[in-house]
This record gives sequence, C-alpha cells and structure tokens, in this order.
Amino acid sequence: MIKAYVTIAAISALLVSGCQSEEPEPAPLANGIIYCSEGNPDTFNPQLVTSGTTVDATAAQLYDRLIDYDAEQQQFIPALAKRWETLDNGTRYRFHLREGIQFHSTGYFQPTRALTAEDVQFSFNRWLDETSLYHPVSGGSYPFFSATGLDQLIQKVVKIDEMTVDIVLNNADSSFLANLATDFAIILSAEYAQQLLVNDHPEQIDLLPIGTGPYRFENYRKDVLIRYSRHPEYWRQGPGIEHLVYSITPNANKRMLKLVTGECDIIPYPLVSELNALNREQLIVTNEVSPNVSFWAFNTQKEPFDDPMVRRALSHAINREAIIQTIYYGNAELAQSILPPTSWAYDNKGIQYQYAPEKAKRLLKEAGHSDLNITIWAMPVQRVYNPNARRMAELMQSDLAQIGVSARIVSYEWNTFRRRLSRGEHDTVLIGWYADNADPDNFFRPLLSCAAVATGGNRANWCHPGFDQLLYSAIATTKPEERKALYQSAQHLLNQQQPLLPIAHSKRFQAQQRNISGVELPPYGGINFRLATKSTAEDETQ
Amino acid sequence: MTRYLAGRLSVFIIAVFLLTVFSFSLNYFFPGDPITNMSGVRSFQSSYPLIMEMRGGKENIATQYMHYLHHLFTGNWGQSLSNGTPVFDDGIQHFVASMELIILALLVAVTLGLPLGVFAASRFRQGSDKAVVSLAMVGYSVPVFWLAQLMILLFAIKLGWFPITGQINPLYGVEPQTGSIFIDVFLSNSEYKAAALQDAINHIVLPVMILAIMPMMLLLRLMRNATQEMLQKPFIKAARARGLSEWRVLVKHAIPNALQAVLQQTTLLFSLMLTNSIVVESIFNWPGMGNWLIRSIFERDYPIIQSAVLMFAFVILFFNLLVELYHGWRFPIVRHEQYATR
Repeated sequence: MIKAYVTIAAISALLVSGCQSEEPEPAPLANGIIYCSEGNPDTFNPQLVTSGTTVDATAAQLYDRLIDYDAEQQQFIPALAKRWETLDNGTRYRFHLREGIQFHSTGYFQPTRALTAEDVQFSFNRWLDETSLYHPVSGGSYPFFSATGLDQLIQKVVKIDEMTVDIVLNNADSSFLANLATDFAIILSAEYAQQLLVNDHPEQIDLLPIGTGPYRFENYRKDVLIRYSRHPEYWRQGPGIEHLVYSITPNANKRMLKLVTGECDIIPYPLVSELNALNREQLIVTNEVSPNVSFWAFNTQKEPFDDPMVRRALSHAINREAIIQTIYYGNAELAQSILPPTSWAYDNKGIQYQYAPEKAKRLLKEAGHSDLNITIWAMPVQRVYNPNARRMAELMQSDLAQIGVSARIVSYEWNTFRRRLSRGEHDTVLIGWYADNADPDNFFRPLLSCAAVATGGNRANWCHPGFDQLLYSAIATTKPEERKALYQSAQHLLNQQQPLLPIAHSKRFQAQQRNISGVELPPYGGINFRLATKSTAEDETQ
Repeated sequence: MTRYLAGRLSVFIIAVFLLTVFSFSLNYFFPGDPITNMSGVRSFQSSYPLIMEMRGGKENIATQYMHYLHHLFTGNWGQSLSNGTPVFDDGIQHFVASMELIILALLVAVTLGLPLGVFAASRFRQGSDKAVVSLAMVGYSVPVFWLAQLMILLFAIKLGWFPITGQINPLYGVEPQTGSIFIDVFLSNSEYKAAALQDAINHIVLPVMILAIMPMMLLLRLMRNATQEMLQKPFIKAARARGLSEWRVLVKHAIPNALQAVLQQTTLLFSLMLTNSIVVESIFNWPGMGNWLIRSIFERDYPIIQSAVLMFAFVILFFNLLVELYHGWRFPIVRHEQYATR
C-alpha cells in the first residue's frame, strides 16, 4: 500500500513537471506550423474539384500556375511563365517558361529534369483532351473547366520548343487569363505521370501529388492530418518553416479551443464573436473581403420547385436580416444579387428579395400548394460564405413553419453530401460560392449555366436557354459597357425566376497566433502558405 | 477446475457464435448490396467479381456465412467504403489506441479507488468516511461528457497545462504503427524522442483522468462496502482477539476477502469504461475504436460499422471470460457455487 502511494506521488510529480517546463520549444515545433483545416480534401489535384477545402489544402501549397493574379495591383504577374504575349487577335497566347524549375523530390518520385513545355502540355491535356491517357483517371470530371467553358474555349496546346508553349483558342475570350491565374490551372509533372503509367498506377497522380509548389507532400491520414514539408529547391522565395501540417478539425468550437490551447497556429472560419469575447492577447483575427455568396438553391427539376411562383413564395418566407445577425453576427452583407456589390457588373435596381410572410402564404396558395413538405440540405462544414449552415437551416425551418411549410434538415459528411447533391437528390440546399477570379462571369457560368447542370455545379439544376444566351453573349464581347448591360439583364432574369435565393456576402475570417506571419488569404482562391514564417519566443521578447 | 473451464469456454463460444451471426446479418439489414457491405468493394469496381466469388455471393446463405467466418478469422475484413484502407489493419490500430487509454485509466482507477475504499471502510461512519463517500457519489453521478467539458475549461483553457486533441503534436512526425502512442514514439525515427514522449504524456493525461473517474468512484464504493462487510465477520474478531495490529487485520484478512466481491464487479466496470471511452475519444479526437465507430456511422461506412461493433462486443465477452476464469482459479468457492446452481 505504501508502495502504491509512492507510485502515485511519483507519477503526479512527473506530470506536473511535464506541464510546467519553461524550456524553449523543441525544434520540430519551432519550425512547423499547424493549420487546423475544416475538412478532408477530396483529392490532391485541384483540377478535379471546385471544393474550397481541397483548394485550400492543395493548390497554392503543392503547385504553381503559369501566371498569378496580384489582387492589390489588379494585374496578372509572371509565375512559371516568365512572360507571355497575345497573338492572332487574341486567339493565341504564347507562354515563355522560366528555366530550372524543379519538381518535388519525394520518397515515391525523383525528377530527372526541370519543368519543360511538355509538363504544361500534359497538365492542360489532362482536362482538355478526352483522348489523353490521363483524362479518365479519377473520374474524368473537371468541373471548374467545364463550368467555365475553358475546355470548349481552348482548341489545343502546342509545344513550340522546350521552353515555349502556345495555347490556341477557338475564339477571343476576355476571361481567359483570369481563368489561367486561378487555383485550378495548375501544372503537373509529365515525367511523374509517365512513371506511374509504367507502374500501372495512374490514379496515384492525384493521391501522391508531385508539383513545383513551395511544399511537397509527405502523407495524409483521412480525418486526422495532411503533412507537408518545405520544397528545398523552390524557385522563388519560399516559406520560413520546415513543416506544414493540416490538422483536420471539422468542429468549429473545437477549432477555436485548439487555437486557444496552442494546438493550432491558424484556424479558418473562427467563431469571431466568441473569440473576441475570449480576448486573448496572443491571438489575432484577420479578415479579408472576399467575393462570395451564400444562397438557398431550389432543385428546379423536382416538383413543386419547377414552379417559379413556389420558389418566390418560399423566398419571401425567409427572414434574411435575422440570419445575418444570428449566423454571421453581422459580419456579412445582405445579398441583393448573386454578384457581390464590389463587382463592376453588380446591379440592384429593381431587385428585391424582401421578407414578407403574408405574401409568401398568398403566393403559395395561388400556386396551389397548402401542405408542403420539403427538405433543406445543410452542408456539414463551415465555408467562408456560410459559417453554420445547419443553424441557418434551423432558422429557416421556423420561418417556413410560419407559412405552413414543414421542412426537414438533411446533412451528410461533406463528400457524400456533394456527391448526392450532384445526383439531384435534394429538394433545396443551403450552399454557396466564392469566386476564383475577378471576372463576374465566374459567378454565373459555374453556378447557373446549363453546362453546370451536367457537371453538378448547378445546385438548382436550372437550365434556362435565354439566361445561357445572355452569359455567352457577355463573354464574347470585350467591351465593358456591353458586358455590364448583359450581366444586368441576367440579374433581372434571375430575380424573376429565382432558382435560388441569395442570402449573404460574408467576409472571410481567420484567427492565428501572433507569432505567425506571411500567411496570405487572397481574395480569389485558397489560403497560401508560401511565405509563412513562425517567430520563436526569443524573437518576440527582443 | 476443468469442468468450470469447459463450462465458461462453451458459454463464451456460443456467445461469439451468436455475435458473428448478428454481424453477418447486419450486412443484409444495411441498405445496398450485402457483398459491398461486407467487403467495401462496390459493384462497379474491377475486383468485385472476384470478391463475389470468394464470399460465395451466388450461393445459399449458409455457405455465405461460412465464407464470412473464414474471412473474419483470417483477418480479411474488407476495406473501408470511404477511403479503401483495409479494415482489419485500421481496426487493430484503433483497438490498441483504445486499450492504451482504457488500461491506463483502469490502473489509475484501481490504484486510487481501492485504497480510498479501504480507507473509508476503516473509518466507517466517521467524518472522513462520509467525505470520501459523498465525493464518490458526486464523481459517479457526473456525466462523462460534461465532466470532460469542465476539465477542458479548467486544465486546458484556464491553466493551459494540457492539450485537448489527439495523441501527440503532429509536428513531431510520429506516425502510428501500433496505435499505442508510447510504443509509436519509441519506434519512430524522430530525433526528439524525449520531447515527443513528454508531449504524448501531456496529451494522454486529460482523457485518462476523465475516463478513470467514474470507475474509480465505483470501485471506491464497492471496496468500501465489501471491506466493511468483512470487518463485521467473526474471523476478523478472532484475528483482533489474537492481538494482530489493525493494519495486519486489514491487509492480511479483510482486504483479500473483500477483493473477491469487488473482482466480480470488474466486468461491469470494464463495459462501463468501454462505453465511456466512446464519449471520451470523440471529445479528445483520440484515434480509438469509439471514435472510429462514431465516424463510420456518420459516413455510413458499413464494413467499419460492423467490424467496430464486433470488436466492442468481443472485447467485452473476452474480458468477462478472463475475469471469470481468474476468479474461478483464485477463489475455489466460486467454482463450487457454480456447480451447486446447476
């Protein structure tokens, strides 16, 4: 018995000494950053997705693009292409590649050569050329490229010499460069792809990624973490840390607690109001105005949502002001259009989605529906446009009950959720979008065109030939005034048809420890750790 | 003893048999293709016809069951529907991680609960006895999930002593091989093993503490009552009359006999801990069986759901068997009682 007491005392002494150590942080902790991401990536190749979680996890970290977009200067800047020129009246773009760009060298692949035109050609043909061997790998669906029509726009990619590549377009398009600068138009290694083909494991190109980006892949465990390490031969200024870990933490409360306990260095989508209430000195909250919209989409291919009157009635039943206050804590703007007010094509004249339950009741009666039972699909993850879809769905549920519509809330794990959405299993869904580039087209074609119905990006399954016509006319012209007029007519048409109800444009927030710097949250695209550094405790005291 | 052993073993085998029948029939109760539910291979995958063949998909149900048993006992539990990893390998890792937590918690519960129980019994109806017993009542009644929140608030948020998720800071680069974090730290090729070990200890303290409290309080009460009962027995009086010190009376006479009654309850204790471990693992993101099961239910990952359920039930059955066998061996009176009731 005495022995037992002694043991207990010894154990507790050990524990107490453990948690009060004042020694400097061990090297692995001082040289690494933990980012507590909100979900699992679907794949490690952003060409295959439009999901923000996947883009955050992969695009800016593992890969580079031909050109980048500098949001501050509002211009395109060279990346893998050191310069480019426009030929043949805007139907041919010539890119001159930078020399000596090294791909990642990892346990599963050692590159023998630097980046060449062949890699660029391969990367584009992956999604462009249906006869390419890699096109069908991992499902063969490239939603961003088919939704933006880039796969129809580009005729072919031609290798001029080792370091020069031409992209030939079917017609001049004002949004082409903007699309090339997005997180999706990344460059893969053709040599790696060839090696995988020889080994008969082509699907690994998206699971064990190789790119030219600032970090290289180490490993991934679903629901637990993604581990990256610094790419030592990165071609431009790289990060000041050795390791980057994505610790997957879907629960927003837990993410915040982990930030407070220091288990996370950075978290996306913090519960801003609660974090401010904690008032911790070592934490800072940053936000970025980001072009996004959250909306409530009706599955217009299902009864009774094929009737615009029903859609309008349901829209009038929703108290969106209350949603802004309750879900976004006021950190968002009430959406009057699918376009955010910062877009040059924004127009709110005559667009009114007001809260009018009585009118909603009347409209519903006129449409001939008294007892409506619907499902609201609420996404299980936080996105920049919607911090808490389930809670939002609950608010809407009670709003709808006011007009005699009973709603059931449906939710699945994020990947399952989106797979089922693409199959059109939902009645209505709470989801949203944020822009990948500065062009207003990015809010329309990926979301509401007929082409997007086929790729599953059109959550309303809404295909309106007149609307499509407006969108295609708008990209065919380069005159801003004409484009503006066309986009305004498109917004009016949307207001009449209401395949979806825009809810809010939110600000994107992230919270981090004070000693982390250089993590960028570009307005277009995912989080970027390229210049991330962590200052140690000693630096701070000086 | 042989008769006792045979009796216990046959009960165990029958229970395991019923368990496998249950988990086998789950494949038919879950929606979708039973072969997919068993193996995690979907019907459009190229390996599906082979799997169908191997699992006797076209034959009668009894043959299918035999195939199922064969797969089960050769560790061929199919693959996860959500990410295609082999269920058995994953299961073992999660099992070990859970066991690490549960065994440590059990140790804490026993080393603190039993002595406190004896202490309370020896001060029967005195102030310190009442204090300990009230504490035990409170500790036993507090729901685990709420207790966990309180402990996190106090130790992690206010005091900042302990982290709240996972087994270790991921920056140490310790990859799971066995599932037990302490073994994994030793197996890893990290240059900072000492720091990593310290970090792992910091991570395990809170979950172990929370998981240990309820069984500790239960043990305390059981031990107190059993010891108290023993202290009333005539042989204790006789021992005291022979002039033994109170300490010797307790340690040599009362406690060994009291333990028998307590040991009988440990099976209950164990299943209680296993249930609580699901809650604790979910709260602390501990990569154990409970966490695994909850996540698989959320993702409708049928091969994992049935394997996890099977493992939980099997572990409880097996532990029961062990305790009963030990009990029968250590306390012959138990065996005789068993025969008498038949």
